Amino acid sequence: MTRAAAPTGRRAGALALLVRAGFADPERALKLLRDRALADVVEVDEDGSVPAEHATTSLVRALGRTADPDQALLALVRWTEALAGGLDRASAPHEAEGVAAAFNLLRDGDLREAVGTRARLLAVLGGSVALGDHFVRYPRHWTVLASASAPDAGELRAELLQAVGADPAAAVPVAGQGRRGRPPGDALRIAYRRRLVGLAGRDLASPDPTAVLHATAWELADLATGALEAALAIARSEEPDAGAAARIVVMGLGKTGGRELNYLSDVDVVYVVEPAEGYAEEEALRVGARLAVALQRTCSTPTAEGSLWEVDAGLRPEGKNGPLVRTLASHVEYYRRWAKTWEFQALLKVRPVAGDFALGWDYVRAVAPMVWSASERDGFVEDVQAMRRRVEAHIPSKEADRQLKLGRGGLRDVEFSIQLLQMVHGRTDDRLRRSSNTLEALDDLAAFGYVGRHDAGELDRDYRLLRSLEHRIQVFRMRRTHVLPTGEVDRRRLGRSLMLRADPVHQLDEVWRGTRRDVRRLHEKLFYRPLLSAVARLSAADARLDGQLSPAAARERLAALGYRDPAGALRHLEALTSGVSRRASIQRTLLPVMLGWFADGADPDAGLLAFRQVSEALGGTQWYLTMLRDSGAAAERLAHVLSAARLPAELLLRSPEAVAVFADDDRLAAYDVSEVLEAAAAAAERRTDPGSAVAAVRAVRRRELFRTVVADLVGRRDLAGVGRALADADQAALEVALRVSTRAVQQRTGTPLPTRLLVVGMGRLGGAETGYGSDADVLFVHDPLPGAAETDAQQAATAVVAELRRQLAVAGPEPALEVDADLRPEGRNGPLVRSLASYRAYYVRWSQPWEAQALLRARPVAGDADLGEEFLALVDPLRWPAGGLDEAAVREVRRIKARVEGERLPRGADPLRHLKLGRGGTSDVEWTAQLLQLCGAGEHAALRTTSTLGALSGAVQAGLLDADDHEVLVQAWDLTSRARNALTLWRGRPGDSLPTQRRDLDGLARLFGFEPGSSAEFEELYLRTTRRARAVVERVFYGR
Amino acid sequence: MRAEPWCAPGPTTGRVAMDRQQEFVLRTLEERDIRFVRLWFTDVIGTLKSVAIAPAELEGAFGEGIGFDGSAIEGLSRVSESDMLLKPEPSTFQVLPWRSDSEHQGTARIFCDILTPDGQPARSDPRFVLKRALDRAAQHGYTFYTHPEIEFYLFNGPLKRDELPEPVDYVGYFDNFPGGTTHDFRRSAISVLESMGISVEFSHHEGGPGQNEIDLRYADALTTADNIMTFRTVLKEVAGEMGLFASFMPKPLQGHPGSGMHTHLSLFDGDANAFYEPGAEYQLSRTGRQFIAGILRHAAEITAVTNQFVNSYKRLWAGGEAPSYVCWGHNNRSALVRVPMYKPSKGQSVRVEYRALDSSANPYLAFALLLTAGLKGIEEGYDLPDGAEDDVWSLTDAERRSMGIEPLPQSLEHAIAIMERSELVAEALGEGVFDFFLRNKRQEWAEYRSQVTPFELQRYLPLL
Repeated sequence: MTRAAAPTGRRAGALALLVRAGFADPERALKLLRDRALADVVEVDEDGSVPAEHATTSLVRALGRTADPDQALLALVRWTEALAGGLDRASAPHEAEGVAAAFNLLRDGDLREAVGTRARLLAVLGGSVALGDHFVRYPRHWTVLASASAPDAGELRAELLQAVGADPAAAVPVAGQGRRGRPPGDALRIAYRRRLVGLAGRDLASPDPTAVLHATAWELADLATGALEAALAIARSEEPDAGAAARIVVMGLGKTGGRELNYLSDVDVVYVVEPAEGYAEEEALRVGARLAVALQRTCSTPTAEGSLWEVDAGLRPEGKNGPLVRTLASHVEYYRRWAKTWEFQALLKVRPVAGDFALGWDYVRAVAPMVWSASERDGFVEDVQAMRRRVEAHIPSKEADRQLKLGRGGLRDVEFSIQLLQMVHGRTDDRLRRSSNTLEALDDLAAFGYVGRHDAGELDRDYRLLRSLEHRIQVFRMRRTHVLPTGEVDRRRLGRSLMLRADPVHQLDEVWRGTRRDVRRLHEKLFYRPLLSAVARLSAADARLDGQLSPAAARERLAALGYRDPAGALRHLEALTSGVSRRASIQRTLLPVMLGWFADGADPDAGLLAFRQVSEALGGTQWYLTMLRDSGAAAERLAHVLSAARLPAELLLRSPEAVAVFADDDRLAAYDVSEVLEAAAAAAERRTDPGSAVAAVRAVRRRELFRTVVADLVGRRDLAGVGRALADADQAALEVALRVSTRAVQQRTGTPLPTRLLVVGMGRLGGAETGYGSDADVLFVHDPLPGAAETDAQQAATAVVAELRRQLAVAGPEPALEVDADLRPEGRNGPLVRSLASYRAYYVRWSQPWEAQALLRARPVAGDADLGEEFLALVDPLRWPAGGLDEAAVREVRRIKARVEGERLPRGADPLRHLKLGRGGTSDVEWTAQLLQLCGAGEHAALRTTSTLGALSGAVQAGLLDADDHEVLVQAWDLTSRARNALTLWRGRPGDSLPTQRRDLDGLARLFGFEPGSSAEFEELYLRTTRRARAVVERVFYGR
Repeated sequence: MRAEPWCAPGPTTGRVAMDRQQEFVLRTLEERDIRFVRLWFTDVIGTLKSVAIAPAELEGAFGEGIGFDGSAIEGLSRVSESDMLLKPEPSTFQVLPWRSDSEHQGTARIFCDILTPDGQPARSDPRFVLKRALDRAAQHGYTFYTHPEIEFYLFNGPLKRDELPEPVDYVGYFDNFPGGTTHDFRRSAISVLESMGISVEFSHHEGGPGQNEIDLRYADALTTADNIMTFRTVLKEVAGEMGLFASFMPKPLQGHPGSGMHTHLSLFDGDANAFYEPGAEYQLSRTGRQFIAGILRHAAEITAVTNQFVNSYKRLWAGGEAPSYVCWGHNNRSALVRVPMYKPSKGQSVRVEYRALDSSANPYLAFALLLTAGLKGIEEGYDLPDGAEDDVWSLTDAERRSMGIEPLPQSLEHAIAIMERSELVAEALGEGVFDFFLRNKRQEWAEYRSQVTPFELQRYLPLL
């Protein structure tokens, strides 16, 4: 019985050891340890357990130090099996010795000399299934792991050339037979992988992957370029005279050029060919092209030994359509004339990597000046912005959370941003041209003051971490992937490979999230924050400590980022950040990121200026600073709104404290008209004299206007919502102004008003479809109180109305509301206000068709509600005539409209582009809706509405308008109305015509959500939509 | 010169060839001692425009374009936005033979794209309109080839105001007249054309006095349109040098045939002719049938562009072989669309011939519309009506009606009225060109209508 207990206990002990070491499946591990293949390494007890014998424990612990102990052990078993299995009686004695050495190493790993080797071996076995497989195939390659130091580029080149039977010392190496009589292509693959295993061992066994990242990526590039050299030697060996006609150099670009290669990525190259002495150029080009094709095939075609990687020559002049090889002169010609900005950016990293290096350096010398002057080219800013959008755009959404390479803050973004800074500043500062390696370039940018040292340090750390993750993910299966795995096992291995041992999956998530959050602020750190140092008066010590951008460099950078007036922008920056105030210090923190947001807008300069003005106006206001500091969303919205259009800035400057609406979404919610009214009334209550009371009302209206503008610009209010909100604001202003004016007149006369007053909204106000630039169209109605004298009542009403109009329109700090009563009976010749009886008499005797038409949108908006009802009872039969309109009346409406079209359009206005009166403009659609109403509202209740859109859908319900025609009219009305609003937003004042200047049109298009540079598409959309609408108007309105 | 690969029309003009041409152009400027480079472009009505620059400026023009004031050019831009850019297309570079005299001081021409100041293609550039239509075809995988047969009249020059032009001869159709002026003219015109890389397929005397036809070799539609613009200029230049006057007016002589530009159209899908299907009726594929159906259905809408002048309708409605009715036929010389006789073993040559087009059309816009109409037929899978076997002119109106054969518009006014309602044309031309074209044509019609013609004077003056 005790015998049974003892083994169980020992077995449990062994299992516990394995669990502690980090094995996920200790049972299986135990079984593997007892595998025959490990018999010479692990001692197994008779009872099946593994004794706590020192050597075995040490091996288990060593396995436990790898990323994936289970995987490492399995690979170990397979490898030892292969190693021993390779031996037979025919084996040379030294081979048997080699196997013995390997087993000794495994057993005695803690002997001083061998610790490194065993650790590296196991690290490879546990960190890469693919390289483990290589060991099984070539078990004796383990010896490469004995070296703890990296071979240099020359060593690698020589070794790979020798593997393909070429003489590394030859001026033009040509391959012979591959090692061990293999085809040279296979020999190259085997030699390459052997070295790859060696470097992976050093990488994976390192206690700090980010520390060795630079060296690893560097060596990967050296290994790849060595392979290119060997592949070129093979290509030459396939030519009859070794391709003597052509001097050829392989230029490395991208990560190869920058010596920062991944475990598996395309190797970017271009080829330069010149004739060797005594040969013609044509022949050299022909031979060169064949060599290039053969080189690419040698690297990428799979053989029994697999393939290396794709050699991608797509960055060459003319891309995939261009000739594969060119002469130096032809390259230079191309770049001189036709290259695009991104092509120069690609050339930033170019260096010779194989073949004729002298020719390669000639090439570098020839193109370098063009690369460093590329930032002066026309269109550089636009190109860069487009490139940036491409870099940031388009990540498959299901991968977005796990993408290392793409998207904002992804590896490509980091690399792109650093290159951009090199291009912008390397033009004038050649110290930045030293290295094209991302980490080295970042180092230089920091050293010479173009990026803050602290930020550069953080970015360096983050970049190294992201790249390490990428390496670890790629090396496991030698697959080209840039996406974090989702599987638990994969994430555990990944976490452990980064030395996150306690809780790898969770810790990995945390590190990843933190890094990503950090890197997303990359542009702020790289581009914008250093701009502040340019305007800050730093102490000499501070400047030395964290670098200082010169004003010239700052201007260059601002221009490259899209600011049209960099000197002005710099002045604003200086004003915003200088001083020791709390405001300046908060703004110093905020501006780097805000500068980026402004740059994304249609007018960055205006955005920055407006921000400065608001800030200066608000001074040190506590809540403002708190809002900016604590709410990133508020600051972002503010930047977005101020750089999108001019109107919000102008409104904001009238009353900077309105900036509070940015604080949170609730402040942008639409209010009910009664709430606005209450606010206006309350504001007026607090003032005694009518002037300041109405001013307070106007302030409330301006606040509503501003809220609406902001809600519109951040996409929280559609056209109908904007129209309603603006109409409500006007209505509230009219109501309270009417009360104030009434009170004022009463005070003046000392008697109560002898009449009831009513304001009827007309036009867009009546339809609650007000635009940013709309006046308030109204009618004034009064009705004398019983017993009051007609003339007294009229006089009093006129006085009130005159006071109301004056107070709302008088020049002041708040935007004026023009109250337009031109639609009244007899127009401008008629009295401003009439009694209800007078309206009745007039409409019965004189009414014109256009008056009935205007009354369609009549809606009481202020004053006596009962009187409103009475007024409507009076006009309803007029605007909704029971029998519709007779032929003559219809004809008359059409005639007037035709005449208006001819006369009202301002001289010189293009009828195609006039938003209101032009072809298919708002007026076309409104008249059509109104004619349908006049004809059908008597019969169909659906048509009895004051809104244009309501009338159009009512007409469909009533069967008077075809659904397709309705769609066309609504689209045009929506588009032209929104365009009018957008134009007012963009310019800060109302406008009537679609702009012809590209910049304005572009600004407008962006307010419609078009991409930058889409003004032509927007224009086409406008012209098409209105043309179609006009065709419907011709048919439905004119009956043609 | 003509065998140079960079000017060979046809499918070889890819990007590779193009950029080599750019190098070639700049080299040629020096080698040939070119003193002027004429930048050519076309206004909306199809008039060739030219700006001369010094060779040194061409390099910059390749990069950024050359600014010019577009406000003076018909339909090009609005007054408020008159600055435009010309960007030369290097593949169209040619030395002009007739301007390069013996002292080796040459002039060359190069076609240009028109750009707005911010570098976007000008929507009002006819070349852009055609390119956009070709892009649309390319999205379906098609390239569009055309092959025009250009008719014109040759008169004794110079032209005198208020006098009827005098035809250079009174020879008939296909007549050979060795040693005649016409013969000499055709020979030197063709040699100039060929020296400019424009391959001539065929040339012969046509039916009218002094009337000739020269057929250009088939090429992609953009190249063909450029070639037609060059062709008109070359013929007028050569005629002028010989004391003659060449005219592409659709109907210059009452009682004699008008000058049409029958054009053969085909779509290629890679190297394969998309209209060809062995064994099908006339070897005409389903795609081909749909393409024809598209053209027929939209023929009336595009007529204001394919036959753009008041005078065009006098050719169109002159009887005889004029294609006045919307129908198609196999080898039917009275049909609007003809499917020419199939030559065995030449499957690649299956094509359709559109016969309404006249020699005065703006080739860029006309090709763009023909292509768009045909593509529409393919996209929407239109059914092709039965072909007409009879001479449609010999049918009565009632017969034609009962067979569903509609007439083409009978006048410019009629054509404008139909085009105005066409979404297809608006979309293909773009809103700006569409609107300008209509306005321009309405004005032409208004001016024409106000004329008191010799016809009226002769008929009414003695009587009334």
